Amino acid sequence: MLSFITRRIAAAVGTLFLSSILVFLAVQALPGDVATQILGKDATPDAVAALREKLKLDRPAWERYWDWVWGALHGDFGTSLVSGKAVGGEVSMYLGNSALIAVVTVLFAVTGSIVLGILAGLYRDRWPDHVISTVSLVGMSVPEFVVATVLVLCFSVALPWFPAVVLYGPDASVSQLLPAVWLPALALAVVMAAYIVRMARTSVIDVMATEYVTTARLKGLSTWRVVTRHALPSALLPTLHVIALNVAWLVGGVAVVENVFNYPGIGKLMLSSVQNRDLPTIQAIALISAVVYVVCNLAADLATMALNPRLRTRGRTR
Amino acid sequence: MASIVSVNSLSVAYRSGGQDVPVVHEVSLDVAEGQTHALVGESGSGKSTIAATLLGHLRHGSRITGGSVEVSGADVFALPARELRQLRGGTVAMVGQNAGHALTPSMRIGRQIAEAGGDVPVVDLLEQVRLPRPAELARRYPHELSGGQQQRVAIAMAIAARPKVLVLDEPTTGLDVITQRSVLDLIAALSDELGLAAVLVSHDLGVVAHMADEVTVLRSGRVVESATTRQLFAQPQDPYTKRLLASVPRLDDTGLAVVGEAGEREVRPRSEVPVDAPVAVSAQDITIDYGSTRAVHGVSFDVRRGEVLALVGESGSGKSTLAWSLAGLRTPSGGTMKHADGDLARPAQQRPLSLRRRVQLVFQNADTSLNPRRSVGDAVRHPLRFFGTAADRPEATERARQLIADVRLDPALADRLPAQLSGGQRQRIGIARALAGEPDVLIADEITTALDVSVQADVLRLLDDLRRERDLACLFISHDLAVVRGIADRVVVLRHGVVVEEGPTETVFADPQHPYTRQLMAAALEPDPDAQPYVDDTADWADAADGDDIWTEHGTDGHRVRRWRPLNAPVAEGAL
Repeated sequence: MLSFITRRIAAAVGTLFLSSILVFLAVQALPGDVATQILGKDATPDAVAALREKLKLDRPAWERYWDWVWGALHGDFGTSLVSGKAVGGEVSMYLGNSALIAVVTVLFAVTGSIVLGILAGLYRDRWPDHVISTVSLVGMSVPEFVVATVLVLCFSVALPWFPAVVLYGPDASVSQLLPAVWLPALALAVVMAAYIVRMARTSVIDVMATEYVTTARLKGLSTWRVVTRHALPSALLPTLHVIALNVAWLVGGVAVVENVFNYPGIGKLMLSSVQNRDLPTIQAIALISAVVYVVCNLAADLATMALNPRLRTRGRTR
Repeated sequence: MASIVSVNSLSVAYRSGGQDVPVVHEVSLDVAEGQTHALVGESGSGKSTIAATLLGHLRHGSRITGGSVEVSGADVFALPARELRQLRGGTVAMVGQNAGHALTPSMRIGRQIAEAGGDVPVVDLLEQVRLPRPAELARRYPHELSGGQQQRVAIAMAIAARPKVLVLDEPTTGLDVITQRSVLDLIAALSDELGLAAVLVSHDLGVVAHMADEVTVLRSGRVVESATTRQLFAQPQDPYTKRLLASVPRLDDTGLAVVGEAGEREVRPRSEVPVDAPVAVSAQDITIDYGSTRAVHGVSFDVRRGEVLALVGESGSGKSTLAWSLAGLRTPSGGTMKHADGDLARPAQQRPLSLRRRVQLVFQNADTSLNPRRSVGDAVRHPLRFFGTAADRPEATERARQLIADVRLDPALADRLPAQLSGGQRQRIGIARALAGEPDVLIADEITTALDVSVQADVLRLLDDLRRERDLACLFISHDLAVVRGIADRVVVLRHGVVVEEGPTETVFADPQHPYTRQLMAAALEPDPDAQPYVDDTADWADAADGDDIWTEHGTDGHRVRRWRPLNAPVAEGAL
């Protein structure tokens, strides 16, 4: 078991390493470098060369890569070309705001859709299943910005319960942002839930048809006990990876929704950095997205192992 | 005696495509306290459906269309949910066919047993089902146990709340003979000890003859015949029952049984293998490893053209491993395996095409070894084209139809998908596919294990006909001694990957010399409640093969036995 964990973690680190190279190379491949970006189109070659030397851009790519990674490991992602502030601090501020949406979304969407998926599976082919499946399919088919707009129309314009847009900057406090979190979170949850609901439904149906669930029922156990003790541990296994992928997707998925609500999160920062060609910030955000993906999948793998005694007890002799 | 279970003209239907398909039709039966009542029938007879109704259970989509089921005075399907739960486990408990699937994989077995209720401590229950080191076992997960152990755990779970009725749905079908025998003995002992009534569902008439007091024979959801076990086996009334009984292979058959419409039975003598028949496959000193575990240790055998050689042994004896190795699916780590056309000790993809088609395997499960999306005609035609035994497409189609006719099926079935055929028909297609390469060696790996007894008889006869017609060398893998007795010319008994006894079928069955062979014979169950079972009187024994001195020869017909010595024999006292 220990060797499995170590191998899995080593693979995660390897993946991160490879993605950091990809991110770095992708940014290198863009036309122009940081110096030309700062100085603009009309800069003289001398000025560009001088700035390059100052920014250490004249050194070979691998040295610069190494500096970047080494810095990133210590939380130093360089300086933003737009604000002139440290990228690390800036990104973490926006990321914190997005995390607020993400946490709310995950808490409600994941628990909600698992519960709905289980209900749909248990009431297979009866009305709760039909309602849940249809609604989640509709949610899956409609793009998130449409959902977000509809939500604004309903809950900000028609019923003024939540603010339609955020008027604070990125340095807003949690209490200032909290009222604005719900609509974006709901919009994301609607889109995300469909996948998890469908996966949970299918695997609950599969597991409920197994002989061991029938055996548990025929032992005279209550439905609650049969579902929670016998069915769910196995039914959740395949769902875990779908959840992990969806949680990771949030990092990118927030971009659109945050822009609809003018929410000062990582998605908004990403969009503005791309528009301003703020290369160090783009690089940092790309790397952080990779970290989130890898960590989510690692967590799903480890959770799968914890839930599956076949993996947990591997190596133990009969 | 009062009946504790009473099924009154019960009808069950399954809803399919907007129509009710009846699966059980006006079935009535009574089980007296302490009695064991067997439900016998082939697949689709509704026996498992009836058994499950005793616990108020119906499959998804099924419903009761008439009649009632009473257990211990309560109408099961009229009980409110709460009382039904108390009935399940408390009054009636079930032991299913495959304990490996019936135990929840994510839960320790101790907790699963404790959950079943009752006041008996888990450790005592595990002890009661004769499991070793119960305290330690209770902390294990199901996958860490062997098949026999899992079935014992399922039994412990069933008797935990001290029910009055036990429903046993094919409780030993997945187990090999020796394990089956010990599990059946355990069930019989517990039923006596706890005064349980039991409803036993089985397709195996040997098991029924051994266990039941009364038998109900079912066919397509209707009762064919119901009688006490002794009466049913001695004087079956209905022709169907007679045919069913006659189809069961017996340990003293000297060939395959041919069963008539009215159930009359005739044993067809085995055809003699000519003395000068050429050897088709010769294996010398084969060893096969799975990682660091050795599955087969130094096994040697020859199969001649027109001969059926049976490999016999319980699960884990290495018999299937040997078959797979011969078919080229697993390379042996030592020894030689030769065919007249070349070397077989290498994987199938490295064998030349001409050799590959000479050795063909028929799988145990025809339903999983045929591509479900491809017509069976295609399944047979593909190897014809692949091996180049048919020149072009029209010829291949024609030959495929001919092969399907050769396995005694209607060639019109060629356009069907595997799912549209019965189990026996699928297995025939499996054989037709193997014959497409025009092999001279056919490996049959437990090909009749999943089949109903009458279908099994047909498939065995087909195999026997084919080897006569085509002069096939046939390696027949089975754990069923009675089947082997009927079809095989010679037998090799394997235990833990080692040959313990081999010889002509008649000689080995008439006079088994190795204690393991005797143990197998003693564990085999005959479809006759008055059968005089073969008594295994050998005490503990140990292997005594030493260096080159491995075999004891018996007679001149090739019957030989691996050396062994009794343990704790009286001789030991004198020697000390």
